[in-house]
Amino acid sequence: MTILHLCQWIYATRLSTGIRESPYWFPIIEGIHTLGITAVVGTIAVLDLRLLGVIMKREPVSRIARQVLPWTWAGFSVMFVTGALLSIAESATNYFNWAFRIKLILLALVGLNPLIFHLGVFRNVNSWDVASITPPRARAAAVCSLALWAGIIVAGRLIAYVNM
Amino acid sequence: MFMRNSTYAFAVVEIGHLLALAVFGGAILLVDLRFLGVAFKLQPVSQVARELLPLTAGGLFAMSVTGFLLFMGGTMRYYHNPAFRLKMLLFVIALIFHFTLQVRVARRSIALEQNSRWLKLGSATSLLLWFTIGLAGRAIGYV
Repeated sequence: MTILHLCQWIYATRLSTGIRESPYWFPIIEGIHTLGITAVVGTIAVLDLRLLGVIMKREPVSRIARQVLPWTWAGFSVMFVTGALLSIAESATNYFNWAFRIKLILLALVGLNPLIFHLGVFRNVNSWDVASITPPRARAAAVCSLALWAGIIVAGRLIAYVNM
Repeated sequence: MFMRNSTYAFAVVEIGHLLALAVFGGAILLVDLRFLGVAFKLQPVSQVARELLPLTAGGLFAMSVTGFLLFMGGTMRYYHNPAFRLKMLLFVIALIFHFTLQVRVARRSIALEQNSRWLKLGSATSLLLWFTIGLAGRAIGYV
C-alpha cells in the first residue's frame, strides 16, 4: 500500500466525504484553522522579536518564553486538529498538490528549529537572559522561525489556489 | 482597476493580508488575555498594553492597507456582500473599542486596581469581536 493509496482510502471515508461535501463544514473548519495559525504565529513572533531585540528589550528572554509558549501550544493544538480535518477532506487531491507538499516540509523544519534552539543556545540562557542583544545563534533561530512560519502561511494559502 | 484585472495581484495582496493577520491577531490575543488575567501574568497590565502596541497598531495598519486593496478589486461585489458588511460594521466597533482600551491601559489613565472587572469584561468583548470579524472575513468568499 503506497501513500497515495492511503490518501485515496482516507478520501473515501465518511469523515472525509462529509466535510468535503458539506456546504459549510469546510469553510468553518478552515476559518478556525486560520485563527489557530494566527495564535501560533502571533505569539511565537513576540518571542522571536524579543530575541531580535525589537520589543520588550528589558524583559528577560526566559520570562517571555515561559509566559508566551503555553499559548503558542494552545494555538498549535487548534491548528493541528483543524489542519488534520482539512487534510483528511482533501487527502487525494492534496497528495498531488505542490503547495501542500512544500507546507509539510516547512512544518517539519519549523519543528526542528525550536528543538535545536532549546537543546543549544537556550540551555545557557542565564548568561544572556537580560541582554537586549542576544547571541547570534539565538537571533538566527528567531529569523528562521519568522521566515519559516511566513512560508507556511504563504504555502497554506496557495494550496487552495493550486487545487482550483 | 489594477486589482480587478491582475491574476496575481489578488493572491499576493490576500497573502499579505494573512501575514499581517498573524502578527496583528497574535498580539491582540496576548493583550486581551493579559487584560483577562490569564496570560503574561508576570508583567504589569500597562506594560503589556504599551509594549505590544507597536505590534497591534502596526499590524492594524498593514491589514488596513492590504484590506483596502482587496476591496478595490471588487467594490460593487463587496458592497452587496452581507459578510463584508458585517465585517466592516464589527471592525469599526472593534477598532474604536479595543484601541481606546489598550491605549488607556498603556497610559495608565484607567485606575486598573479598581477596574479589573471592567477590564476583563472589555477584553472578553474585544476578543469576541475580533474572532467574529475573522470568521466573517472568511465568509466573504463563500456568500
